[in-house]
Amino acid sequence: MEIPPIVLYVLVDFSIYLIVTLSLNIEVGYAGLPQFGRVLAVLTGALVASAIPGRILAAIYGYPYGVEYSSYEYNYKVVDAINRVLESNPALSVGIFILTLIIAMIAGAFIGYLTSRPAIRLKEAYLGITLLAMGETLMLISYYYQPLMGGTTGVLVPDPFRWAGGLRFIVATFTLLTFAILILIFVELLTKSPFGRVLRAMRDSELAIAVYGRDIAKIRTCALMVGASIASLAGALNAFYTGSAIATTYTRVTWTFWPWAFMMLGGTGNNIGVTLGVLVFVIVKTIIVTYRGALAPFVPFDPVWLEYTFVGLAIVLIAIFRPQGILPEKPIFTLPRRKLEEFLGRR
Amino acid sequence: MLPVIAIAKAVSYASSLALMAAGITLIYMCTRTFNFAHATFVTWAFYIVFALVFIAGGNPYMYLPVAFIFVGFLGVLVYLLVIGPLLRRNASPITLMMSTLGVDLVFLSFIQMFADYLTRTYKLYARRIVLETYDFSLLGVPASAVISPIIVVSTIAALHLFLARTKFGTAMRATIENPNLASILGINPNIIYLASWLIGGGLAGLGGALASLSIAGDPTVGNSMVVSMFASSIVGGLYSINGSMLGGLLIGMSEYLGILILSGIVGGWILPYRPVIPLIAMAVTLLVYPKGLAGINWPRLLYRIGVIK
Repeated sequence: MEIPPIVLYVLVDFSIYLIVTLSLNIEVGYAGLPQFGRVLAVLTGALVASAIPGRILAAIYGYPYGVEYSSYEYNYKVVDAINRVLESNPALSVGIFILTLIIAMIAGAFIGYLTSRPAIRLKEAYLGITLLAMGETLMLISYYYQPLMGGTTGVLVPDPFRWAGGLRFIVATFTLLTFAILILIFVELLTKSPFGRVLRAMRDSELAIAVYGRDIAKIRTCALMVGASIASLAGALNAFYTGSAIATTYTRVTWTFWPWAFMMLGGTGNNIGVTLGVLVFVIVKTIIVTYRGALAPFVPFDPVWLEYTFVGLAIVLIAIFRPQGILPEKPIFTLPRRKLEEFLGRR
Repeated sequence: MLPVIAIAKAVSYASSLALMAAGITLIYMCTRTFNFAHATFVTWAFYIVFALVFIAGGNPYMYLPVAFIFVGFLGVLVYLLVIGPLLRRNASPITLMMSTLGVDLVFLSFIQMFADYLTRTYKLYARRIVLETYDFSLLGVPASAVISPIIVVSTIAALHLFLARTKFGTAMRATIENPNLASILGINPNIIYLASWLIGGGLAGLGGALASLSIAGDPTVGNSMVVSMFASSIVGGLYSINGSMLGGLLIGMSEYLGILILSGIVGGWILPYRPVIPLIAMAVTLLVYPKGLAGINWPRLLYRIGVIK
């Protein structure tokens, strides 16, 4: 069976951005926090994937795993050797893949906890700018501090899908898609659980939820930890898929503002809407990238910039004309209708 | 000891930052909008000056008023098309902030297109702008180190006169204090908001045009400076134009000179971490003393430390 590369490209973009945007939706759509530093958690995941699995394997198989692991002189040799080991050992590949994802989620939760320290003191735009600043700081550190992500040269990430041979991209794509669907189900269940209802109550009135005896600082911390942990998973998956990582690809535009645009288009506070929003955006982005060659002779600039125009315009137009998005948030019915009727009938 | 040229550069950079921060503060005070589009406002000023110098010739200083007017006009456009309609719908501060981010992305793409256009039509290398060489020497230092502080001081004076002595300025202050009460007295808040975007955008243009003389520009130069601008504005207290100017000078100087001093102490590896300085200043201000520089009781502080009796 032959799958056209463009379909795989759309599916990968869709899966990664769906996970990031859903995590953003927990924090923004449900908890009402201005998360302008999503890139922080995504980058954390990518850092874990680029610094940890390679080092573990390098230590096991006797390659340099210290500071020199991520220097550009050794990195490509070491990772190449590791990849040859992984190619012949699918079980080890899957094991290291899962282990890294777990570490990434724990690291993400830790970063989420760190960001929650200012988040319980600051409000609205102040908090947004502080979170944005934290993301920028980590970006700078990972760009200039070589042992993490190879600094300015970047690093190669061990490829846990190498054993699939010619089917590598198909296997990787469907792994990502599976993760995206699992996360969608998890987030949907989470936001319909009592925890999700508490989040929405806090978003709508902090005073009311405090009166009912809930600790707002604790709820915010939880929301930020869960969100950051999911976003970190997406960062690690992205690094594994692309097989390399460099800090300059983790900018606030691509990993904070784009997910915001996707979320706003789909419907803030509605997971299915968010899924739809990501799908629409990813398809339009792919169309722009695909047809830029056809457009190039007619305009005196590189049509790739139209992507930015499109995302920016979409944000502005949605904010003005349809702030609720394609699928607006709906009230949640916690019990099926039949049970509610039974319950009412008994009374 | 630091070389004179470094201090001169720091002064001119800090002055341009002060002007940009003043624009952010003015817009925030009037319309409660953290204007992220300030980043591309500044970049547009870079490109306007660059294009005019290379196409029409002359000296960058000649085009300062053009940059002020052009970017002020961009600000008016943003207010009329985006912020005004959102304010009329009582959008939340987060929505306002997000929409300026959208505007920023659109303007960023326009700058990239403009840079491509300059490259293809005029054969200019527009991906990296260096205008420093067009600066002349004054009193032994680059002229921008002398002219920029003078522009900052005269802007402070002009804004003070405008806000304190003119009828429109009084109306503006009244609207900032209480928009509803001001509108009862026959002041149209829309005009005031429009003016704040015109002046705020203009200040970004002026700051950007001056910054083009002290730092090299590329299509994302404003985006890399925007965090410093917000830091200056927040360190200044966010509710005072003079405070934000002071914040801008402080952040700019500590960014430029602080990192040089630090690198002398701990070594050159720290140099790339320069942008962390404004971030730390901002975080500390927000968490420790959110009122910022404008909230300090200066006479009492000076009395306490013994500067005045």
